[in-house]
Amino acid sequence: MNGTDAGKDSKKGLVHGVLPWIIPAAFVCAWFIVSRAGILPPYLLPDPVTVIGTAHIYIFAEPGSAPYAGRFLQDASTSLLRVFLGFSIAVAVGLPLGILSGRVAEINRLFSTFINGLRAVPGITWLPIAMVWLGIGMRTTVFLVALAAFFPIYLNAMAGARQINPLLLRAGAMMGTGRIRGSYAVLLPGAMPHIMTGLRLGLGISWAYLVLGELTGVPDGLGAVIMDARMIGRVDIIIMGMILIAIVGKMSDALLVAFLRLSFKSARRMP
Amino acid sequence: MEQAAALETVGVSMHFSVNGVRKGVLNDVTFSVGQGEFTCIVGQSGCGKTTLLNILAGFIAPTAGLVRVRGRRITKPGPDRCVVFQEDTLFPWLTVSENVAFGLTGNRKYRGEIGARVDHFLALVGLLDYRHYLPRDISGGMKQRVELARVLVLDPLILLMDEPFASLDYRTRREMQDLLIALGQELSQTIIFVTHDVDEAITIADTIEIMTINPGTITEELHIGQERPRRVTEASYGVYRDRIYRALWS
Repeated sequence: MNGTDAGKDSKKGLVHGVLPWIIPAAFVCAWFIVSRAGILPPYLLPDPVTVIGTAHIYIFAEPGSAPYAGRFLQDASTSLLRVFLGFSIAVAVGLPLGILSGRVAEINRLFSTFINGLRAVPGITWLPIAMVWLGIGMRTTVFLVALAAFFPIYLNAMAGARQINPLLLRAGAMMGTGRIRGSYAVLLPGAMPHIMTGLRLGLGISWAYLVLGELTGVPDGLGAVIMDARMIGRVDIIIMGMILIAIVGKMSDALLVAFLRLSFKSARRMP
Repeated sequence: MEQAAALETVGVSMHFSVNGVRKGVLNDVTFSVGQGEFTCIVGQSGCGKTTLLNILAGFIAPTAGLVRVRGRRITKPGPDRCVVFQEDTLFPWLTVSENVAFGLTGNRKYRGEIGARVDHFLALVGLLDYRHYLPRDISGGMKQRVELARVLVLDPLILLMDEPFASLDYRTRREMQDLLIALGQELSQTIIFVTHDVDEAITIADTIEIMTINPGTITEELHIGQERPRRVTEASYGVYRDRIYRALWS
């Protein structure tokens, strides 16, 4: 490889690295200009520096030294736990049921009417009944997260199991692969691209329903902080909370993808 | 050599029902294949060759008749009857060597020697240098070599091949035919090879079963006595070709 090629390559790498940050940076710039130029008053849109300052207190300050000081770790870990529990339940039910429904017509017929009917009910309408049944807090939030994450996981697992080339299953069978090994050595990897899509969609919607569950008067969690701040008119905290959820949510997605790639050849070697 | 046949079919018939109309695909197919014999089933497209092969493999059950392997009736697929498919059926998430190891994994018989056995068979098909490649990174001819290696490694009683070289270019196809003949002789492998290509059948087979269409049935058996390696330009080809064409279209 000669000099110009190497130069081209590093230039390409630079563009590749910078590309994802252009729009967030432009967004922050526009925010800065709008708030500093006085187009919107601070009580509607505080400027980025204020929000960064608020975030600094929220994340790093001594708890009790100011309102919301140092609560981040507590709130984030509570929210993460709720997402993790709800998402895990959705995976544990949705993945096997989806794969089975994709392969066995009778099972699909047994469940699909019920599940699709259930799916037509907007998740938010479950909130009142969940609060009556499960009370305010952890259990309601986990229930809502599990319910919402279930559908994309189930539907994509089913689609993945259904689209597998039947010749791959035959190839497995003729090499002496029984039902059990066939399930995890042929079916699961063959459906992996769809499964991965379903899991990522499910985790994404988990965060949406986490906030819904936490908006109902629970004392801790990232969603609770946002709702709490609205009542005392702290828009800077609302915006900070939204940004923190974006960051934590994006990180959890990256973590999920990394975990799948680490655990499954089929996820690692997806075309 | 004439003990219990490696494989025999007795009156195998297959009917499908399409919109309530009964359609016969196979009718009373009866033939047998001896141990170590290389048999080609030749017939035109649509005569039911693939259906017959799927029945031999145990993927589908015939409407009537039965298939015996070494005298025992078969009902489902198994590693005693391995299949090389026409399409690419390698597992795309496994490397070349992992694909070849697939059938050995979990089989107690091969515990502790899987790595060595995989390497040996990859060397036989000439792909040892490509063992860490993924299927999507190798050519069609190489994929068929991997398909061949992953079933030969299981030491099957019978190797079933469904037009495995049909999608390869002429040169690669000749190479694969030579490789298959060489490996078949070296391993004394019983092979049943389905093809619509009459010249291919004459080149590779010990015995040719000629299959007609509507309904699909085997009407004639032809033994090819010609020494190997055979060349398409040899005069004997014309004689064999003549007999096959006459049987196919009489």
